[in-house]
Amino acid sequence: MEESTFDPDLIHAIFKLEWTRRSLEREKNESSDAMDCEVDAGTSKKSRPMSANANALKLSSKLLQIFVSEAVQRAATIAEAEGISRIEATHLERILPQLLLDF
Amino acid sequence: METGMEEDDSTAELLRDRFRLSAISIAEAEAKRSGMEISVPVMTCVAELAFKYTKQLAKDLELFAHHGGRKSVNTEDVILSAHRNEHLAASLSSFCHELKTKEPQSERKRKKAPKKEDKSAIHITDA
Repeated sequence: MEESTFDPDLIHAIFKLEWTRRSLEREKNESSDAMDCEVDAGTSKKSRPMSANANALKLSSKLLQIFVSEAVQRAATIAEAEGISRIEATHLERILPQLLLDF
Repeated sequence: METGMEEDDSTAELLRDRFRLSAISIAEAEAKRSGMEISVPVMTCVAELAFKYTKQLAKDLELFAHHGGRKSVNTEDVILSAHRNEHLAASLSSFCHELKTKEPQSERKRKKAPKKEDKSAIHITDA
């Protein structure tokens, strides 16, 4: 069975969306600083498009896959210690603080 | 401008849903591998966490690349984003090395030992 993982293209799309959102936000801040100018924040072009290379995206997908796997494995360990074969929300709650510190 | 924003919202939602589906399938596979069942709210929660983490990662990578005077994110930026966790960083750099050495081949399945003794430490054994 093939190991399930995130599609690097999907990760790229999410990254690009976030970068565009951030650059729009920056533009908005800049244009509100220069209030005396005409208000055309929406029409100005993106000044600095960020991109990512293929290996970086594959690596990011891997990182996110590790994140999800770790969350499940750690919760599974807690559930197992309690003698329950089903991972419940309480198990996730137990491992969450350390998980978030580790990533 | 408003229609543009709406389009953005709908693509954002689509991406989020696609991401969640992948995250849930990964979580399910992982639970199956350790012989456990996993409840739906846990998977949804993990998926949401991973999505938020992705957005944070996007911000980090942008800042790192920008600081390096680049307009493109490279593998070093990704490894740098995991620098607080030495095991994770080491695991990522070995995966990166794998990617570089055999570019045309599909990525080899990495062996991840589901060790049970140390739950607070990261489980990935790097080579």
